[in-house]
Amino acid sequence: MSLDIQIFPASKGSQRVILAGRLDTHTYEDLDEKLAPLLTRHLQSLVLDLAALEYISSAGIRSIFKARKALGGHGGKVLVVNPQAQIQKVFDVVKAVPLNEIFSSTAEADAYLDAMQRKVLQGDEED
Amino acid sequence: MLIRLIVPGEHARVEDLNTSLEAVLKRHGIDAGVRGDVRLIVEELASNAIAYGGADGKDIGQHELSVNIAIAGDLLTLEFRDEGAPFDPLSTEPPDLEADIMDRPIGGLGLYLIRQIAEETHYRRVDDANLLRVSLRIPATETSP
Repeated sequence: MSLDIQIFPASKGSQRVILAGRLDTHTYEDLDEKLAPLLTRHLQSLVLDLAALEYISSAGIRSIFKARKALGGHGGKVLVVNPQAQIQKVFDVVKAVPLNEIFSSTAEADAYLDAMQRKVLQGDEED
Repeated sequence: MLIRLIVPGEHARVEDLNTSLEAVLKRHGIDAGVRGDVRLIVEELASNAIAYGGADGKDIGQHELSVNIAIAGDLLTLEFRDEGAPFDPLSTEPPDLEADIMDRPIGGLGLYLIRQIAEETHYRRVDDANLLRVSLRIPATETSP
């Protein structure tokens, strides 16, 4: 089984990516390649929708770490939405993503992003 | 059941191995959760063997990696045997999971995952081979007679 990667247009500094299938030794390079141009754009957030992702291995975690580091360099975040059981288990074991950056629905992630956005705007006003 | 593949250099065959294992496990009524764990353990171990071929990243040439799978009671046991350089995958340093993401290395998690997910693990060097036994518990409610 392969990996399907669907990238949505960026809006308000946030980009949504839907992954389906398996993110492993055989597919992580596809993801790295597709994410590379996004990671140079100083995104505030990259939202990975994992509802249809069935399996992840440490190779996939490496790709997620690369993205977290790229965004983390300028204070951005990688948010994860709806990870399935196997993925949640692997995330838990290696603490791949902080728990407060994992959401059970896109609506939850959007609410978090809105709050993040407001905080940034408020910060700007205070400056 | 015994399945063999040649390492290093056969990434594509890891998928073949996992596909075969998955079919056997399905036939034995093993649930998706345990099948996912088996896939992960096989992938992590085989990738490690293919990438490093032995201890300290030394290239020791091609050798065979075989997997024997056995189900006894509520334990599913995978036994990996390879004739690479002596290497105990259970002896590697655990990663620092609490470090800030900017300070964490992007790799080094595969072997740790195996140790954490398995119910039991056991390594021994016998003659010229590494033997690694990894057992997983099969949830009682999920197995059909």
